[in-house]
Amino acid sequence: MATNSQTMTSSALQRPRTRDDSRRQRLSWFSRPAGWVGLVDLVLIAVFSIASTNHVFFSVANFTNMALDSSQTVLLAVGVAMLLSAGEIDISLGANIVLSSVLGAKATVAVAGAASTALTPTYPHLALGLAVGVLVAVATGTTFGLVNGLLVTRLRINSFISTLATLGIGAGIALVVTKGSNVAGIPIQMQSGFGVYKVFGFLPAPALVTAVIAAVIWFVLVKTRYGLRSLALGSSREAAVRAGLKTRGHLISLFCVAGAASGIAGVMDYSRFGTTNVGGHETAALAAIAGVVIGGGALFGGRVSIPGAVLGALLAVILETGLVILGLDPFYQQIAIGVVLLFAVYLRSRGDAVAGDDHRPRRRLRLGTVTNSPERDHPTKENQ
Amino acid sequence: MPRVIIDAAELSRDFGHVQALRDASLRVHEREVVALVGDNGAGKSTFMNILGGALAPDHGSLQILGAPAQFTSVRDAQAVGVESVYQNLSLAPDLTVPESIFLGHEVLSTRWRWLNVLDRDAMAEQSVKALKLLGIELPRLDVPIADLSGGQRQAVAVARAVKWAKSAILMDEPTAALGVRQTDIVTRVIRAAANSGLAVLVISHDMPRMLQTADRIVVMRHGRTVADLHATEVSIPDIVAEMLGISDVRRSFNGH
Repeated sequence: MATNSQTMTSSALQRPRTRDDSRRQRLSWFSRPAGWVGLVDLVLIAVFSIASTNHVFFSVANFTNMALDSSQTVLLAVGVAMLLSAGEIDISLGANIVLSSVLGAKATVAVAGAASTALTPTYPHLALGLAVGVLVAVATGTTFGLVNGLLVTRLRINSFISTLATLGIGAGIALVVTKGSNVAGIPIQMQSGFGVYKVFGFLPAPALVTAVIAAVIWFVLVKTRYGLRSLALGSSREAAVRAGLKTRGHLISLFCVAGAASGIAGVMDYSRFGTTNVGGHETAALAAIAGVVIGGGALFGGRVSIPGAVLGALLAVILETGLVILGLDPFYQQIAIGVVLLFAVYLRSRGDAVAGDDHRPRRRLRLGTVTNSPERDHPTKENQ
Repeated sequence: MPRVIIDAAELSRDFGHVQALRDASLRVHEREVVALVGDNGAGKSTFMNILGGALAPDHGSLQILGAPAQFTSVRDAQAVGVESVYQNLSLAPDLTVPESIFLGHEVLSTRWRWLNVLDRDAMAEQSVKALKLLGIELPRLDVPIADLSGGQRQAVAVARAVKWAKSAILMDEPTAALGVRQTDIVTRVIRAAANSGLAVLVISHDMPRMLQTADRIVVMRHGRTVADLHATEVSIPDIVAEMLGISDVRRSFNGH
């Protein structure tokens, strides 16, 4: 059988637009998931500002307070965001906070030494104690994350299950170490100098730390090879492996990042309240993960937005604060928060579908837009 | 005489009691498209997986560009310039076209190299070139792979393989899931890949298309390579007869 022996017609290439094209530029900010969540945040702020007595919601004092309240949740959200984008999850973050804060607080107390009896007590090794405490807390958090990472990558235990297990183990260790009572005697300087300190008189120091970390994580995710590979691992593990990526070490490092964020959140915990919270933070991980997902992150990886995660985590804090100021019965608050979270996620998914250019606008697919050569002739082989 | 790029001799591989591959041999030269055809279970994928480093053979020898190759992983094969394209597992759906082409080979910004900052402009530029080389047209590159049609995705996968392949590309059913137009695009790209100097080995059930695109058709049956035919000299019934092992019957029937 004879085949055609025409040479293959190589069609003229229409230069693909590698930069934003006009349609993309037309899209306004709310077309992005972060934009939708930001819109919901703003609407809530407006509603609470108008509805609250004397508009107390809309005051510097209240915003300062909310910034402080949200520091930990937002920090955890951005800390776990990259891990989620890589297709893994960590629900042990709350236990990690408790354990890190307990060990950090104990180290602080032990190193700082006995307090004087003055009104503002002095300590023999105050600065060293505070520094060691912070280091111990962050190291504990990171090690906790490392253990999670090893369980997932070496023993190949699903990350949901393994971190569910370490959630219990971590909380249990914290209780064993403290015998169930919170660590007392943390130097007040940790509170006045960091936990409740306000930069320029209005910006809580913990919120500033969270903001800096969020900015760094955004940079890593969007600008660096590490961020790209994280997304690739979550988008298709198979494709990432076939592309020659080393998955284990990468995933372990992501678990460590989430763990380190928990460790820093642990420092915020004992420095803000001057004590630990051994029975608390049970739902901290879920609040953080919810923030990431509300902000446009895919629960099973492949896409994530750091601004979205920040705004998504803020959503719950704005709601809680607003409802408290409005004086809503606390029992109803929980219901209201759940309903609004559902609504926010629904809006966000609609945003994806309607205008979302922020990955995977499947409903607007322009299938088959490959324009063949004008001749549109059958592919034929080049004769040799 | 074109150089021999893939030289596989008497490769065998068992899976338990199943002899998936028995003394299979194959040569692919540069600038050549060889189609590997055979019935289901004939050993095509096993053969290709061995050539691509995903499987190790029990016996036999494999040479790439005249040098003995003993692959223990896909990375080993990639190191000597052999890239594989799979039906649908090759690309991550959430990455953009340049990200997909460069994943694992990212271009870093010279200025911010110490931070491993990506040079997205350079990757986009080189992607345009890589696609242009194969005559692939995409309306935009800054879209996730999930937004492309099946043919476009496969074309990008081939472009990625061509960009990093230094000697050969192996493709397992690259057009199985595609419509006619999409298949046109991919077949054209396959030919263009070979024309760029690579050896191309394609598993495909699309026989009419393979007769047009490939230079040679290698037929497999029961784990053996049973026929090596020139695409210009055979017809589909000939190939089917070889696949089913009734070529003698057919020949006598036709009075050959």
